[in-house]
Amino acid sequence: MAEVLARRSSRGIALCLGALFLVAACGGGGGNSGGGGASSTDVTVWTAWGGAELKAFKDVLAPFESSSGIKVHITTNRDSTNQIANGIAAGTDLPDIAPGPTDPVQVADWVSKGALKPIETALGDQFSAYISNTYPALTTAPGGSDDPYIGIIGGKHYEMMVKTQVKGLLWYNKKVYTGAAPKSFDDLLAINPSQYGAQKLFCAGFESGAASGWPASDQIDNIIMRQSGETVYTSWIQGKQKFSSPEIKLGYQTFLKEVSAANVYGGSNTALSTNFGKAGDPLFKSPAGCLFLEQATFITSFFQQDFPSLNLKAGTDFDFFAHPSMGNSQYDGNVNGFYDNFAMYNNTPAARKLMQYMATKDAQQIWVNDGGTLGAIKTLNYTDPVFKNAASVAGSAKNLLVTAGDFMPSDMQKAFWQSLLNVTNNPSSLNSELAHLDQVQAAAYQKS
Amino acid sequence: MGGIDLGQVTTALIAIIAVPLVLLGYIILGEQVIERLPDRIQEWIRPYFWALPAIGFATVFMVYPLLRTVVISFRNNADTDWIGLANYQYFFTFPDTLTSLRNSLLWLVFYTFFAVFLGLIIAILVDRVKYESLAKIAIFLPVPISAVAASIIWKFMFDYQPPGTTQTGTLNAAIGLVGHDPVAWLVNATTNNAALIFVGVWTAVGFCMVIISASLKAISSEVLEAARIDGANEFQIVRLVITPLLWPTITVVGTTMLINALKTFDIVYVMTNGAYNTDVIATQMFTQLQHNHLSRAAAVGVVLFVAIIPLLVVNVRRFQQQEEQR
Amino acid sequence: MSVGTTTREAAPVRSAVAAIDRFGGTLQRLPLHLVIIIVCAFWVIPTIGMVVNSFRSVSDMGTAGWWTILFPPHGFTFASYQQVLQIEGVVPSIVSSILITIPATVIQLAVATMGAYAFAWMKFPGKNIFFIVIVGLMVVPIQMTLIPVLQIFHTLHLNGTIMSVWLAHTGYGLPFEVFLLRNYLSGLPREVFESAEVDGAGHAVRFLRIAVPMTIPAIASLTIFVFLGVWNDLLVALTYLGVSQYRPFTVVITGLVTSFGGGWQFLTAAAVLQMSLPLAVFIALQRYFVRGVTAGSVKG
Repeated sequence: MAEVLARRSSRGIALCLGALFLVAACGGGGGNSGGGGASSTDVTVWTAWGGAELKAFKDVLAPFESSSGIKVHITTNRDSTNQIANGIAAGTDLPDIAPGPTDPVQVADWVSKGALKPIETALGDQFSAYISNTYPALTTAPGGSDDPYIGIIGGKHYEMMVKTQVKGLLWYNKKVYTGAAPKSFDDLLAINPSQYGAQKLFCAGFESGAASGWPASDQIDNIIMRQSGETVYTSWIQGKQKFSSPEIKLGYQTFLKEVSAANVYGGSNTALSTNFGKAGDPLFKSPAGCLFLEQATFITSFFQQDFPSLNLKAGTDFDFFAHPSMGNSQYDGNVNGFYDNFAMYNNTPAARKLMQYMATKDAQQIWVNDGGTLGAIKTLNYTDPVFKNAASVAGSAKNLLVTAGDFMPSDMQKAFWQSLLNVTNNPSSLNSELAHLDQVQAAAYQKS
Repeated sequence: MGGIDLGQVTTALIAIIAVPLVLLGYIILGEQVIERLPDRIQEWIRPYFWALPAIGFATVFMVYPLLRTVVISFRNNADTDWIGLANYQYFFTFPDTLTSLRNSLLWLVFYTFFAVFLGLIIAILVDRVKYESLAKIAIFLPVPISAVAASIIWKFMFDYQPPGTTQTGTLNAAIGLVGHDPVAWLVNATTNNAALIFVGVWTAVGFCMVIISASLKAISSEVLEAARIDGANEFQIVRLVITPLLWPTITVVGTTMLINALKTFDIVYVMTNGAYNTDVIATQMFTQLQHNHLSRAAAVGVVLFVAIIPLLVVNVRRFQQQEEQR
Repeated sequence: MSVGTTTREAAPVRSAVAAIDRFGGTLQRLPLHLVIIIVCAFWVIPTIGMVVNSFRSVSDMGTAGWWTILFPPHGFTFASYQQVLQIEGVVPSIVSSILITIPATVIQLAVATMGAYAFAWMKFPGKNIFFIVIVGLMVVPIQMTLIPVLQIFHTLHLNGTIMSVWLAHTGYGLPFEVFLLRNYLSGLPREVFESAEVDGAGHAVRFLRIAVPMTIPAIASLTIFVFLGVWNDLLVALTYLGVSQYRPFTVVITGLVTSFGGGWQFLTAAAVLQMSLPLAVFIALQRYFVRGVTAGSVKG
C-alpha cells in the first residue's frame, strides 16, 4: 500500500511541479498581455452610452481611427464613477477618458488628487476655440467663479462638453393638437382636450425601474426654475433651500396640477406604472389619450419605435413647444438641459488627440446626423426640424440649468424622486412628504 | 477588441488542470510529511494544513475587508478623522430606516419561509415521479435569471394599463378575465411588498430545491422501505423520517436564505428602488455607495453583520450537537 | 388467480389485473402529479412570457400581452437576437465569460472541499470560531471588499488579469461553499472512514477515495450555483478587469440599451442567451442526483 502510494506520489509531485512551472510562466505572460493602461496608440474610453448611442459614438470615431491610426477601446460602464473612485483609492489604472463625477464634492476631490486632468491641457491651443464654439451656459460659471456642476474648479475646466439634451419640452401630435403654443402655464391648463378629440390634457409615465420618478423630477424642475428663478434652484440643489420653503412647496403644488386625475391620462396609477418610454404612446392612438407629453429631446426615438407602422416623422407628425412661462418673465430664459461630458484621467498623447477630435464640429456633426441628440457646439447643422428647433431653444437660453436630482447626494435624490411618486399617488400627503424631505436633506448634505 | 486571445485560453486551460493538481499535490505531499511527525503534533498541525487554503482565501478577501469595513464605519468619508458613532446615528435616524427595517423583517420571515418550505416540498414530491428531471428544470429555470432579466419578466407580469383598455400584463389580463379591474401591483401599498417578495421566492425556490434534493438522495431507500413496512403512511414518513434526516440541510439552506434576505437588494432595486415603501436595508447601503459614501455604507454593512450573529450562534450550537452525536 | 389454473391461462389474467392495479396506483398518485404539474406550470409561465417576447417586436410588446403570439397575426421576429449577436465583440465576450467561469468554479470547489473536510472530520482548537467567521462572512457586501482587494492585487501586479477575477470569485464564494460542504461531509457515516483507517488509509486517501466520491451530489449541486454565480456576475469582473480588454458577456450586454433605457427589448433576447448556458450545465449535471450513491456503502 505504501509503495503504491509512494509511486503515485512521486508521479503526482512531478506533475504538480510541472504544472506550477507552467502556471508561473503563463500567469505572468497572460497577465502582461491583459493589462491596459497608457499607450501612445490606444485609448480606453468608459462611457454610459449603449445601444443606438453607442453606435452613433462609433460612427463618430470611425474617421478619427482611420486617419490617426489610434485604436479606441470602448466599454459601456454605467458604474464608472464608483469604479474610478475605487481605482483612485487603490492606485490602479484608470481609463484614459470617462465621464466626470456628478457629485461636486467628488469633482473637487479628484481634482485635488490629480486624477482629473485639465481640459486646457488636453486641448492645448484648441481650447479657446472650444470655449467660443460651445453653448456658453455649459462652459461658463455664473459670476465667473467655480462651478463644480460643469467641472470648473480653481478657474480650470475639467469636463469637456460633447452632447446636450433639452428637457421640459411639451411634445404633441401635430395631427391632433392644431392650436397655438400656450403662452403661459395657466393658458396651458386652460386648454380643453375634448376640443381636439383627446381624452386628457397630459400623458405621464414615471416608471423607470431603479430610477423611477426621474420624469416627474424633470417636470417639477422645469416648474421651479421658471417660477422661482435660478438662484433658488441652485440653492435647492446645494441643499440650502428647504423643501418645505414656500418656493419649493409652490413647485410641488403646481406639479400636482399636472398629474391630477382630471388632467393626466389614465389617472395616477397609469402615470406611476407606465414606463417613461411608453408614456407618449397615447398621443398617437385614436382616439388620442392626451394632448401633451412633457419630455426631453431623446424621447423622439421612443415614439418612432413604438409605432413603426405609422412611420412618424419629426416636424410633420410630432413637434414640441418650449415649456411655457410660469408668469415671471425674468426667469423665462431658464432652460433645463443636460450634457454628456468627457473628462481625461490619463494625460497621454493619444487621449489628447481624441479629446481634440471630439471638440471639433466635424465629429459632433456625425452624431447629430445619426439623430436623437444635440451636440454641444452651437453651430451644428440640424436637418431634423425638431432638433433644429431644440438647438435654438438651447442656444437662446439665458441659463442652461442642470437637472436638480442628478446633482444631489444619492440618498437625497432617491428621496426626492420618490416623494414625487408618493404625492402623485396620494396628493393629500404633500405636507408630510415635504417635512420628510427636509429631514433627509438635513442628514444627506452633512459633511462626511 | 477583435478575436479571442489565445493567451487567455491557454491560461484558463492551465488553471483548470493545474489548480486541482496543485491542490492534490499539496494534500498528498503534505500528508506524507505530516504522517512522519509524532502523533501529537500531527493532530494539531493537520487540520490547519488542510483548512489553510480556504482560511487563507477567506482572510484575504473577506476577513481583512470586513475588519476594514468596521474601522471605516467609525471614520469620516475622507478617511481623515474618527467620528465615532455618527454614521450609525445617520442610519438609525434617517427617516426611511424604520420602513426599511420593517420591510427587511418581512423579507426575512416570508421570503425565507416560503423559499425553504416550497423547496423542501417540491424536492420530496418530485423525488417520487419519473419525470423528476423535467420538473426540476422547470422549478430551476428562474435561478439563472439575472435581476435585470427578472425585472423585465415581472414587468410583463405586473404591467398595468388603464381600466377599460387592453391589458398587456399577464396578471392583469388574468384577473380581467374574471371581470376585475387592473391592479397596479407595484404601486399599491397592499400588494407591492408581497409582489416583490414573491419575485424573490420565485427565483430562490430552485436553489433550495436543488440543495435539499442532493441530501434527500443520500437517504437510503432501505430506511424508507423499512418505515413503509412498519405501516407508516406517506405523510408520516415525510414528517417523521425524511424531515428529521434532512434537518441539517434545511438549516444550512435556511441560514443561507436568511442571509440572502438581508443582503440581496437586486430585486427591490431594479423593480422599484424602494419606492412606495418597499425599501429594504441593503438598498440603503447601495444608495450610499452610489455617491461613494463608503463610511455610511460601511455602517449599514456592520449593522447587517451584527444582525446575523444570533443566527451564527444557533448554527454553531447545532454543529456541536451534531458532533457529539457522532 | 386461483392456484388451479394453468400458467398459460393465468398469464393474461395476471397481466390484466396488474394493469388495473397500475391504473389504480396511478389514480392514487393523481393528486401528486396534479400538484407537481400545476406548480411547475405556474413557475414556468413568467419565463415563457419573456422567451416569447424575445421573439416579438417592441411595438407588439407595448400593445398586447405575450400570449397573443399564439393567435394570428403572430408577429414572430428574430430582430432582438440579431441585434444582440451583432454587437461588436459579442462572441469573444461569451468566450471570455466561459474562460472566467470554468476555472473560477474549479478552483473554488477544490479549495472548498478540502477545507470543508477539515472542518467536518478533524478536531482542532478554534475550529468553531474559524467556522463562525467563515460563515458570517456570507453577509459581507462585496462592495466593501473592492478597494482593499484592489490594493492587494495592485501590489501583486494582478490587476487587469483574468486570474484576479478567478481568485476574487473564489474568495467571495468560499463561505457558502464551505458551509454547505461541511454539512454534507459531516453527514457521511463515520464507520466508513473508520474501517478505511483500520485498513491503513491515510487522510489523503480517505478524502480522495471515500469522502469526495460520496459527496458527488452536493458537489454537483454546488457546481451549478457557483457556475451560475460567476457567469452572471458583472461587478467583480468590471472591478478587477478594470481597463483590460477582456470583457465578459455581462459587460457587453449593458451596451445593448441606451443610457435612457431605449432598446430594452433586446435585453429579452440577451437574457435568454445568458441563461441558456447555466441551464445547460444544470441539465447536464442532473445525472449526479441519483439515490444510492451513499446508500449501501456501509456493510452490515
